[in-house]
Amino acid sequence: MSEKQDEKLDVMLRTRRVEPANRDLAQRIILKAQSLPQNQILPFRQWLRQLFAEFHLPKPAYVVASALVLGIVVGLSTPDRSASKDDDSTSVQSFLYADEVPL
Amino acid sequence: MAAGWPEKSDQELLALIQGGSHPAFAELVERHTTRFYRLAYRYVQNRETAEDLVQDAFLRLWENPATWQPERNSKFTTWFYRIVVNLCLDWQKKKRPIPLDEDMPLADERESADEAMIRIQEQRILEKEIAALPERQRTALNLCFDEGLSNQEAAEAMGVNLKALQSLIMRAKTTLKERMKAYL
Repeated sequence: MSEKQDEKLDVMLRTRRVEPANRDLAQRIILKAQSLPQNQILPFRQWLRQLFAEFHLPKPAYVVASALVLGIVVGLSTPDRSASKDDDSTSVQSFLYADEVPL
Repeated sequence: MAAGWPEKSDQELLALIQGGSHPAFAELVERHTTRFYRLAYRYVQNRETAEDLVQDAFLRLWENPATWQPERNSKFTTWFYRIVVNLCLDWQKKKRPIPLDEDMPLADERESADEAMIRIQEQRILEKEIAALPERQRTALNLCFDEGLSNQEAAEAMGVNLKALQSLIMRAKTTLKERMKAYL
């Protein structure tokens, strides 16, 4: 009995009558919109996104910038050769004079 | 209508509308007017009012296209259902409910006069009882029994989870079954 009631109620809910709309409803809305200006106030997040979009760089620019940064980092991390030259010459001299006993 | 518009998704059309495209707006309106009208009609039970509410909803979208945010709103229809429902509920709060039309046309012309009379009476009582349901239960019923809207979509449109929606529908149906005992 209850199942039948459920079924009938479902059928009634699915077949609720809806009076058809005027055929020109969509056209009416479209025509009305043509006389209305758009309000372009953006929400904060969208405004922020557009702001960042203004500073958007193309991909090649990122490649060049990364290459430069990489070059600087590599350059700074390599030991200074001019300093090591002095060290080398000092060690050669000490080797040459190592056997000479002072009189 | 320009060629290619029907192939565009709702999201694509909305992006164009945000750029001020009238043809994109026209396509979106033609695509969805009927379904939103049907929903509005179920709330207000009056053609002119339902048409006005749908028109109002679409014009608000046109005037403030930035209210649609694709990253927030998963699907246009789900989001717009909520807008139409809110407009209908606002309208109902402002106005007294319109009495149901006494001369409701027959639902099916092939029915006999007696059957038709019974059916019209049932429909009238059903609409009256649905109108008396709590707001959320009514919305759940209107969304779920609208063609093409799954329970999941209805839940999203209402901003509740699936279980909550199912519970709302069950309570609504229990109430209706109780109140319409004589007709079931």
